Amino acid sequence: MSSHDFITPAKMARGLGSAKSGTETHIRQRVSAIALIFLVPWFVYSIINAMSGDIVDAQVWAAKPWNAILLILTAGAAFFHMRIGMQVVIEDYIAKTGTKSALLILNSFACIALFVTVALSVLKIWIGAGV
Amino acid sequence: MVQLTLPKGSAPKKGKTWPKPQGATNLRQFRIYRYSPEEGGNPRWDTYWVDMDRAGTMILDVLFYIKNNVDPTLAFRRSCREGVCGSCAMNIAGQNTIACTKGFDELPGGVITIAPLPSQPVVKDLIPDLTSFYAQHAYVQPYLKTVTPDPEKEWKQSEEDREELNGLYECILCASCTTSCPSYWWNGDKYLGPAALLQAYRWLIDSRDEATGERLDDLEDPFKLYRCHTIMNCAQVCPKGLNPAKAIAKIKHMMVERVS
Ligand code: SF4
Ligand code: FES
Repeated sequence: MSSHDFITPAKMARGLGSAKSGTETHIRQRVSAIALIFLVPWFVYSIINAMSGDIVDAQVWAAKPWNAILLILTAGAAFFHMRIGMQVVIEDYIAKTGTKSALLILNSFACIALFVTVALSVLKIWIGAGV
Repeated sequence: MVQLTLPKGSAPKKGKTWPKPQGATNLRQFRIYRYSPEEGGNPRWDTYWVDMDRAGTMILDVLFYIKNNVDPTLAFRRSCREGVCGSCAMNIAGQNTIACTKGFDELPGGVITIAPLPSQPVVKDLIPDLTSFYAQHAYVQPYLKTVTPDPEKEWKQSEEDREELNGLYECILCASCTTSCPSYWWNGDKYLGPAALLQAYRWLIDSRDEATGERLDDLEDPFKLYRCHTIMNCAQVCPKGLNPAKAIAKIKHMMVERVS
């Protein structure tokens, strides 16, 4: 006999009830995906170009206002999108509640930290260039 | 949650090889999943040789051939034997489908494996326990719900509105789609699965139903609905050619419409 004997199928199907949420996350994921459709090709193209010169050329390129703005936007959209995607992966693949919660928190922290790091780096180059 | 190995006692072992029929010229080899709770032990793969000239035309005929001529203990479920009842769903040559409409001409070459629908407890041999599948279907309340008092004769619907139900009402609840879905394998206790959601959508867009909002409320959940990751196995296997993934996308669309 298992601890789940006598639990009715309806009890299982209803579970904790509907969370009445998820649509906002769904919209956020879609909107950030749309932004990335435009930003990622620009980013890849620019990085390949920037790699053809030396580090100073790359810094000059990154210090241009439009490039700096787009770089920060790309990082913002990417880490925002990544946070939602990673959350789904963790929920699907990690069963233990404690480990799962810890990883979900770590995921949020890591995505925010990565964004702040990229944004500050770009700002540093931009401000350092004296624009 | 993901389980990459089968639970203890569930991995099938090599089973018995049954004798070849005498005098047959068109033989084909089938490996069939056998499990009997009374006997205990692990499930096993039994090997059968089938005289394809005498077996009929569909996989269900093969199962009957085996049951009648080789091994009467083989258990499987069937009722209509014409793709209407959904009882005979199983995994044939690696793909979920219904045995009674799967023709020999659609089979790949080599040995054909036949197993019960994946990820569900097995009652016996090819018979899965679909209790939770049915409970999840019941959760979406698959019947007309109204607040307006019943009309004297019937609830009417325009021809255009009736057409909206095409591609949905045909579902025979065979569970091929739901049990082919990795997201359902991992989260089958919380995710409602493609079949239940296709039925949910069938009632959401029914012009006569007045409970659309409540229905959406009951579905709006990161697991019950949003665990669909558009993997599309459901649409690929459905023996009735339906597209549950599309119905789920339309539910998500209704959810967005409601908040924007
Ligand atoms: S949608 Fe197709 S595969 Fe899924 S239960 Fe209905 S008939 Fe079976
Ligand atoms: S026996 Fe009814 S669908 Fe196959």
